[in-house]
Amino acid sequence: MPEMNMIQAINDALRVEMERDDRVIVMGEDIGKFGGVFRATQGLYQQFGEDRVFDTPLAEAGIIGTAIGMALYGLRPVPEIQFADYIYPAFDQIVNELSKYRYRSGGQYSCPLTIRTPYGGGVKGGHYHSQSPEAYFIHTPGLKVVVPSSPYDAKGLLISAIRDEDPVLFFEPKRIYRAVKGEVPKGEYLVPLERATLVREGDQCTVIAYGAMLHMARETVDLATKKGIRCDLIDLRTLLPFDIDTILQSVQKTGRVVIVHEAPRTCGFGAELAATIGEKALLYLEAPVLRITGFDTPFPYTLEHDYLPDAPRVLAGIEKTLNF
Amino acid sequence: MTYREAIRAGLREALRSDPRVFLMGEDVGRYGGAYACSRGLLEEFGPERVRDTPLSESTFVGAGIGAALGGMRPIVEVMTVNFSLLALDQVVNNAATLRHMSGGQFSIPLAVRMATGGGRQLAAQHSHSLEGWYAHIPGIKVLTPATVADAKGMLLAALQDPDPVFIFEHAMLYPMEGELDEDAGAADISQARVRRQGNDVTLITFGGSLPKTLEAAEQLASLEIEAEVVDARVLRPLDISTFLTSVAKTHRVVIVDEAWRTGSFAAEISAQIMEQGFDHLDAPVARICAAEVPMPYAKHLEEAALPQVGIIVKTVQGL
Repeated sequence: MPEMNMIQAINDALRVEMERDDRVIVMGEDIGKFGGVFRATQGLYQQFGEDRVFDTPLAEAGIIGTAIGMALYGLRPVPEIQFADYIYPAFDQIVNELSKYRYRSGGQYSCPLTIRTPYGGGVKGGHYHSQSPEAYFIHTPGLKVVVPSSPYDAKGLLISAIRDEDPVLFFEPKRIYRAVKGEVPKGEYLVPLERATLVREGDQCTVIAYGAMLHMARETVDLATKKGIRCDLIDLRTLLPFDIDTILQSVQKTGRVVIVHEAPRTCGFGAELAATIGEKALLYLEAPVLRITGFDTPFPYTLEHDYLPDAPRVLAGIEKTLNF
Repeated sequence: MTYREAIRAGLREALRSDPRVFLMGEDVGRYGGAYACSRGLLEEFGPERVRDTPLSESTFVGAGIGAALGGMRPIVEVMTVNFSLLALDQVVNNAATLRHMSGGQFSIPLAVRMATGGGRQLAAQHSHSLEGWYAHIPGIKVLTPATVADAKGMLLAALQDPDPVFIFEHAMLYPMEGELDEDAGAADISQARVRRQGNDVTLITFGGSLPKTLEAAEQLASLEIEAEVVDARVLRPLDISTFLTSVAKTHRVVIVDEAWRTGSFAAEISAQIMEQGFDHLDAPVARICAAEVPMPYAKHLEEAALPQVGIIVKTVQGL
C-alpha cells in the first residue's frame, strides 16, 4: 500500500472521484493551474481540464453560491475555501441557502456539495489563517461537518462526503497536512460518515478529540499510560451528526471525560458534547466533563504555542478529572 | 411604555446627549425602522445622523466599524439576525479583532442592534435565533434585553462600552408593555438577574423566552412547584455565578433557549454548570430548544418548532 501524507490522500480522493463520476468538479481560489495554496488539487487541472477544475475570483459568497446552483442542477461540486478564516463571507450562502434547500423545497431538491477548507493553528498564520470555526456549522441543521485526522480517513471520508446527497463541510487540519503520513489504499474506498473511532483503549478516562488535536491527544494518552493512567481516546471524525453511541459506551466505562479542541472555549463544540454527555450519562459521571480548548481571544500570532492545547495541559486535565 | 418605545427613547437620549452618536441601517430613516423603533428620529435629528443604507449588510457594518475607529459612536441596525450573516466577516475578522490586532491601540465602540427570533410566521430566513453564534466570538459583548427597562438601559450601556456590543431584540417583545424609569440611564451589563424567586428548580433563559418561562413558572406554582427564573441578559461575557447561586439552592436546572439545540448557547450554560456546580446537581441539566429544522412557515408547525409554556412545565415535572 502506498504511503501518503494528508495532502496526497486528499488529492487522490479528488482524482478517484473525478475519474469515476464526471459530475464531480472542483473550484476555488488558485486551485486550478497553481494546484491550490497547499497543493491539494495539484495535477487535476492538467488531467481534467478547465471545465472541471477552475479558478475563481476572491469572492467566497460567489464560490459557494455558484456551487449551490451547480449542485441543484445535478453536478457534484467540491469548492475549496482557501482558509476557513475566509469562510465568513460565504456564511449567508451556507446557512440560509445551502443548509435549507432540502427542507424549503419539501424534499424536491438536495444540495450534494462538499466544501473543503483548511482550518486550525500551529502554522504561524496569525489571526486570519488559524481559526477553527467548526462550532458555527455544528449549530446549523442540514449540514454535516467532518474533520479527518489521518491520510487514510481523509481520503475515505472525502469520498463519502462527495457521494453524500446532502451538503458536507470538510475541515482539513492544515497543521498536519504533511506532518502525518500513513498507508492509503489505491482506488476507491469509503470511511463512513457519522462514526467515531476508538484510537486508544483504557478504563479510567475518556479523551475526545478530532483533527490536528487528535495527534497531540494520542501522545498525551500514551504519556499518561506510562504514568499508569489508562484512557480511551476517541477520534470523532464527524462532528455533525456526532457519534454519541461510541461516546456513551466509553463514558459508561470510565465515568470521566476530557474534551480537547483548539477553537475558543465559550460556545465551542466542546460545550455541546459536555451538555449532551451530561443529559444522557450524568449518573455515570464521577467528575465534571472537562474542556481543554483554545482561549477566548482572537487567535494570537506570537502566543499560539500558549493558545493551542498541548500535552502538559491535557495531561493536567486528565489528572484533575481523576482526582476530582 | 412598550419595549419598542423604550428602544426609541434610548436612541433619542443617545442622539441628544452625544454628537458622536448616529444611527444607520436599512429603512431606519424615512420608514422609521422595520419594527418602527426609529420612527420620528429622522425628522428630529436629520439625515446626517439617521441614515438609510443600501441592502448591503457587509458594507454598512463595515462602515460602522470605520466610523467607530474614526471617533464616532455608531449605532448600526441590522434588520434581522438572519441577514447579519452577510456581515459576519466584518464582525469576526474586523470588529472583534482590531483591538487585539493593534496591540490595544484601537478600540471599536460600535453598537449593533438586530431583531431575532421566531413566532410571526416569517419562515426559514427571518426567524432564527443566532445569538449563540455571536457568543462564540472573542472580542465582542452580546446582550439580550428581555424587559422594557433593559431595552433602553442596555442600549445606553452599549454606547458607553469601548468595544463592540451586539444587542439582540426579540421580535415578539417589541409590543410588550412594562415600567420604565425614564431617568434610569445605562443598565448594568455584567450580571444575570433573578426575575422570580423559587426553591425547587432553576429555569435559565433570555430574550424572547423570558415571558414564556415566567408564565410556565406561574403554572408550576399552581402545581406547588416553586421555580426560580434567571434571565441571563448578557450572553457574553456570561455571569455564571448567578446561575450557580441558584443551582446550589434548587439542585435542578432547565435551560430555555429558542435556538436550535445542537451547538446552542444552552449547551454552554449546561457545560459550565456541570463544570462548576457538579456536586449540587441532583438531575441532568435539561435543555428546551427549537426543533432542528429551518423555521416552518405554517403557524401550527412554527408553534411546534419553538419552545412553549407547556413543554417547560412538562420538563420540570419530569425532573
